[in-house]
Amino acid sequence: MSVIYLLLSLSILVAVIFFVAFIMAVKNGQYDDSYTPSVRMLFEDELVKEKPKKEKTSKLTNQE
Amino acid sequence: MEMQQFYYDNKIVKKFVYATLFWGVIGMVVGLLLAFLFLFPNLTDGVSWLSFGRLRPLHTNAVIFAFVGNAIFAGVYYSTQRLLKARMSSDVLSNINFWGWQLIIVAAAITLPLGFSSSKEYAELEWPIDIAIAFVWVVFGWNLIATILKRRQRHLYVAIWFYIATFVTVAVLHIFNSLALPVSAFKSYSVYAGVQDALVQWWYGHNAVAFFLTTPFLGLMYYFVPKAANRPVYSYRLSIVHFWSLIFIYIWAGPHHLLYTALPEWAQNLGVAFSIMLLMPSWGGMINGLLTLRGAWDKVRTDPVLKFMVVAITGYGMATFEGPMLSLKNVNAIAHYTDWIIAHVHVGALAWNGFLAFGMIYWLIPRLTKSKLYSIGLANLHFWIGTLGIIMYALPLYVAGFTQASMWKQFNPDGTLVYGNFLETVTEIMPMYWMRAIGGTLFLTGTLVMIYNIIQTVRKGSEVVDELAEAPALQRVSKKRVVGEHWHSWLERRPVQLTIGATIAILIGGIVQIIPTIMVKSNIPTITSVKPYTPLELEGRDLYIREGCVGCHSQMVRPFRDEVERYGEFSKAGEFVYDHPFLWGSKRTGPDLHRIGGKYSDSWHFNHMYDPQSTSSGSIMPGYKWLITDKLNKSNTETKLRTMVTLGVPYTDDDIANAQQSMADQGAKIEENLYSDPDFVKSYEDDKMNGGADFIEMRDREIVAIIAYLQRLGTDIKVKDLETTQN
Amino acid sequence: MGSSTCFHCGDPSGSSALFYDDKAFCCQGCKTVYEIFSENDLTCYYDLQSAPGITPKDVQGKYDFLGQQKIIDKLVEFDDAKSQIATLFIPQIHCSSCIWILENLKKLNSQISSSQVDFGKKTVRIQFNSQSYSLKEAVILLSSIGYEPYISLEDFSTGKSHVNRSLIYKLAIAGFAFGNVMFLSFPEYFEVGEYWLEEYKHFFRWLMFAFSLPVVFYSSQDYFTSAYKGLRAKTLNIDVPIALGIIVLFLRSTVDIMFDYGSGFFDSLTGLLFFLLLGKFFQQRTYSFLSFERDYKSYFPIAITKILKNGGEEPIQVYDIKKGDRLLIRNEELIPVDGILIKGKARIDYSFVTGESDAVSKKSGDKLFAGGKQSSGSIEMEALKSVEQSYLTQLWSNDVFNKVKEDSFTTLTNLISKRFTIIVLSIAFISTAFWLFVDSSKALNVFTSVLIIACPCAIALAAPFTLGNILRIFGRHKFYLKNATVIEQLAAIDTIIFDKTGTITSNKESTATYEGNALSLSEEVLLKNTLRGSNHPLSRTLYALLDENDIITLDEFEEHVGQGIQGFHQQDSMKIGSANFVGKTKTFAVLNTSVHISANNTYKGKFTFYNSYRSGLSQLFNNLKKQYDLAILSGDNEGEMENLKKLLPARTKLLFNQKPDDKLEYIKHHQTEGAKVLMIGDGLNDAGALAQSNVGIALSENVNVFSPACDAILDAEKLNNLSDFMKLSKSAIKIVKWSFVLSFMYNVVGVSFAVTGRLEPVVAAILMPLSSISIVVFTTIATNWTSRKLKKKHSSILPSI
Repeated sequence: MSVIYLLLSLSILVAVIFFVAFIMAVKNGQYDDSYTPSVRMLFEDELVKEKPKKEKTSKLTNQE
Repeated sequence: MEMQQFYYDNKIVKKFVYATLFWGVIGMVVGLLLAFLFLFPNLTDGVSWLSFGRLRPLHTNAVIFAFVGNAIFAGVYYSTQRLLKARMSSDVLSNINFWGWQLIIVAAAITLPLGFSSSKEYAELEWPIDIAIAFVWVVFGWNLIATILKRRQRHLYVAIWFYIATFVTVAVLHIFNSLALPVSAFKSYSVYAGVQDALVQWWYGHNAVAFFLTTPFLGLMYYFVPKAANRPVYSYRLSIVHFWSLIFIYIWAGPHHLLYTALPEWAQNLGVAFSIMLLMPSWGGMINGLLTLRGAWDKVRTDPVLKFMVVAITGYGMATFEGPMLSLKNVNAIAHYTDWIIAHVHVGALAWNGFLAFGMIYWLIPRLTKSKLYSIGLANLHFWIGTLGIIMYALPLYVAGFTQASMWKQFNPDGTLVYGNFLETVTEIMPMYWMRAIGGTLFLTGTLVMIYNIIQTVRKGSEVVDELAEAPALQRVSKKRVVGEHWHSWLERRPVQLTIGATIAILIGGIVQIIPTIMVKSNIPTITSVKPYTPLELEGRDLYIREGCVGCHSQMVRPFRDEVERYGEFSKAGEFVYDHPFLWGSKRTGPDLHRIGGKYSDSWHFNHMYDPQSTSSGSIMPGYKWLITDKLNKSNTETKLRTMVTLGVPYTDDDIANAQQSMADQGAKIEENLYSDPDFVKSYEDDKMNGGADFIEMRDREIVAIIAYLQRLGTDIKVKDLETTQN
Repeated sequence: MGSSTCFHCGDPSGSSALFYDDKAFCCQGCKTVYEIFSENDLTCYYDLQSAPGITPKDVQGKYDFLGQQKIIDKLVEFDDAKSQIATLFIPQIHCSSCIWILENLKKLNSQISSSQVDFGKKTVRIQFNSQSYSLKEAVILLSSIGYEPYISLEDFSTGKSHVNRSLIYKLAIAGFAFGNVMFLSFPEYFEVGEYWLEEYKHFFRWLMFAFSLPVVFYSSQDYFTSAYKGLRAKTLNIDVPIALGIIVLFLRSTVDIMFDYGSGFFDSLTGLLFFLLLGKFFQQRTYSFLSFERDYKSYFPIAITKILKNGGEEPIQVYDIKKGDRLLIRNEELIPVDGILIKGKARIDYSFVTGESDAVSKKSGDKLFAGGKQSSGSIEMEALKSVEQSYLTQLWSNDVFNKVKEDSFTTLTNLISKRFTIIVLSIAFISTAFWLFVDSSKALNVFTSVLIIACPCAIALAAPFTLGNILRIFGRHKFYLKNATVIEQLAAIDTIIFDKTGTITSNKESTATYEGNALSLSEEVLLKNTLRGSNHPLSRTLYALLDENDIITLDEFEEHVGQGIQGFHQQDSMKIGSANFVGKTKTFAVLNTSVHISANNTYKGKFTFYNSYRSGLSQLFNNLKKQYDLAILSGDNEGEMENLKKLLPARTKLLFNQKPDDKLEYIKHHQTEGAKVLMIGDGLNDAGALAQSNVGIALSENVNVFSPACDAILDAEKLNNLSDFMKLSKSAIKIVKWSFVLSFMYNVVGVSFAVTGRLEPVVAAILMPLSSISIVVFTTIATNWTSRKLKKKHSSILPSI
């Protein structure tokens, strides 16, 4: 069962990495704004002349 | 800081999408063939590379790594570029990733039917391919991280985090589970033995499911569901909590796959405890996904993309609820080894992975080809056939699972088993197998409908071109300039460098850990009477592995009254010390074989292998005629023994020197036993007459080796010397 | 949405609608914004959200001060030769369309390279090329599309605040350690003496020890410091027993594993810290877009236009205004200092500073007080004092603004913990003494066990989770509290004092009654149309009150500044204005403002204006009067006395003509009589009272803009819920007390194990989380159940987890 050593240290190591990553992320202010990003990712930024997909939103149609 | 224009690489996305569809069909077709082999065991009679045992790993690998894998890459390559407002760091890497991955799949599709298998579930591929996988995977990670480094969007959307986690963990898991000592180009032995091998395998097995089938798809969910619904995710804060809690709990939950096995109790319970805890983050994610569609249900009614996603998320919810339930010991006692597990994994694969991938593709293709979907009607048709298929598949197998379990465990008042003959429990559930096959057919049909739909869409759409986009470069603001500014460029790049550095660190750390593990003789309480396999038995065992017997037969008698009654003394950890790899198995389509040794005569095994139905009527085991005709390859035996020695199996130099001789002797002995069967004598003598020059002595044929192995199984410990075991 | 509402802002565009791209707009402003967007094909703006827009205000010259380098330096947070970054507070941000347009500013002007919105804080962080573009231009661009930034003196004085995340780190570390330690301690609970476990348990234990180190030495800091402070101040606050528990847990566990007595209590230790910090974290619900610490600074402009000797104009920071400076106050601008009106018709709205409801007219030579808002045309004034010495700002020299309320208030938890700690310690010592005689070997074990098991985790959690949850519920109903202790203080309140203007009356609309001879239809039409021509505030109000009439074009329209307006149509004429303007000679003085009317020079009658009180007001007062003494302090005159008498319960005290410091003194006086006072006000004039009162609630029509320093901000439309809020805070305290009882029961069980020396790590490991979790569950359910009444009218800005 010496493999326990391996699995344990591996698991903990992986966990530690992610933990550090987490602290870093918080430090960098990644999570200061916990709403806007979820809206931002909806915006298309392609420079295409075709109408972006937002035109499909039902809100628009019941406006005209 | 000035505005930069750049192109999103859509071609690579397109390639991965097409690959997904192609391999999806392959994987499903193979799956369907397997489903029908349950009904017509000798459908592919005599064709070794189409036998059930060899195709099963092909099916699982094709679905997991080819279908789901390509879907992951397609989604990741599309969303990452847009979330980071940057083209993938290097087209070369992207293409190496693509072509490398397809090459690996092709290699798998060739080697597995040929019987080159390590027999470790979801990791059957032999060592050269394992190395290739590791390489391609690192290329993928490198590409991903390099892109993160040159991103134009400061915030890393939660999906990206899921991708990073996927890369790091899968890399680690794959490498450590696949550690093996090569014997030849396509043969290797796992460095771990028996219980240890089992523990590592299921630590991997579980996390493979966690980090290959779940985390990347959660990332995709968090990108494509909001996109398709055009609403922000229900709670972004929750999604962040979801990610971090999932990451910290998942990694522990491996050992629950080994409940009631010879694994130490506390290790089992640990697995259970953490599997239960997994329920919370998983359902948090599911709820977050579903609630994203709140107020958009009108859209769901009209938009097939959302329909697929809703079912997918629901499937995720069901599977992640069932998982922890199954890890409860008393539930597991019933469900383990039965078709319940098959149903469980297919809810995950068909609904969660399959349907999310389909939804994603239906959403992607029109965007890539700047057109509308060819036919919403067909998409809806696909949705309904597919859903029906899933139900038709899962429900019968649940029933089958319960039926098997209850029949296995029923006792007569006099203490004998009600269904002493395992076959009764098999014939009982044939109807379920029929329905399963139909369900599978439906699902496949749906996929074909989709492919037609996609082809038509691509046809009338404009061809896929890289999309122009523009975004300002990230302003690197240095600390000293800006007082009170809470980030700055160096810190800002940090997590990424960290991931790279850390991954390397684990690998090094891991190697340091692993060397002693391999070299130091395992400290498992040895049972004096347990001896290494004889050369012939070892060869037989390798045949057992080659033919994938482990796919239908377990070698682990659990300490339950019914199993002891049916199979014999329950298995002890000490019995497996020389098993590289372990062959405990995870499914009992046929009976357990750990105590098969000495139960039947050599002749019986001979006939059973030739035509299973002749010895046990109604059996759904296919015949293995080639074992009886083919010559056993003894050229590698010495190398194998030597490898085993390196792994700590105590073969003496004499053993190795006399390997050939001992094989010949043991073979002759078995041949002699076979002569007790008049029919055999007759037919065999006939062959000998008109066999001519290329006639192969029975003692040199593969069948002899496999019989030798089977007759040896579980015979090392007699009940009398149980006291000596510490377990 | 029909064409009757504005396509841009959604306001009713009515008969006077403008049309463009066959879309209706309520005003020129909205139309212009739409034009700007459609030119730059940014009309997606209207797809994300329907009618998301805000009507832009005219900012001509308003931001000239942004030309000054000194001010720019204060506002930009990053500046190299090429580019500048500034974060602007934009209260108008309210939907995804806002985010979209503000993050696409670059499409409106290529000089802006990037702009990033923080929806929670309602800020946009813009980065632009400082060589060819300026902050001023950016601000004007924003204003032109309806997103006028809110720049105040505050931005000038305060530096950028630094985010403190230490709690998150501490929590994360505790949680991480907890998870791993649990993982490592489980095996020994499941199976003892198993072959491999015997081999590895030492490895496991030392790993646990390693994990617990950062928890003890970093995560628990706050508890040690607070306990230390408490002891220094001779008070046994809740953190004393906690700190004690932590230390004992750690030492005992370390000793245990060192001498192989057992697996130690590391899981309990880390778990304890995790839950405690979780409570702390949960309790601090901060509203990033609100500030409870505002003074006049955030109301005052950052700069104002000075008129130089040579008649030239230059923007000047208000701090630099010296006695004798000549200042130009534009329409809608604020008077920053006390001074004398030199030129122009001043019509100054003091409602916010003094509480007078109506704007007052001033002639040149009249004294003007700082804080008033000019509301008709621009005026010139001469400064008499600097900002600091001005009448209004003097208020802040009062020392109430410097004392912190929490200090004077001991929380329920600390009240309990005092007794609790004493009891626990005595139990510990007694039982130890007992064991010393019976079996001395067990004595130390017992002593530590008692301290460990009695560590008041659950007690410490009761308040944070209850109050934290209530805090969220309040927040969802637009009642924003500064912190959780405010709830405890609310529960203790027995006197409620209201400000009148803007608090119980609404700033938005007022009502008018007409007395005199009835008007003919034609006269009504003429009246309405004459008013239509005038921009005088009273005319606008009256115009709004009168019901719709068909629009006619006047033949002639005259505005006699300071007196009234006159309209001619065919042969009819109509005068509207002051009494003598319309030719009514004898007038008896009335306190309420009124507008007189004459048609074809025959006096018709007058419209008298009254405040309109917030709907459901009397109902609210009647709910409250049962448990609370009620009073109204108004800076206004008695004009409304009768109205209020009718409206409010008899016992309500009514005081008028209250200067800001009068209000403050009044409250002080009540408090000396042992009253616990809740003050509800809106304006700067209430600031003193709000600070003095035990709980000061600032009422606000728009919570994002200005509200004076206070303990809580309440959205005006939710004033009616006040009684519910009060009830809820009372029951919150009940819940806390019940959860105390609950946790005591756990402690009894635990201690009974401890004193008998049978406390196994596993018992602690089960009991500790069990008690904590059950407390959390209990409080959550209880709070949500008691607040279900409010829940019905649920409204939330952001999805909350």
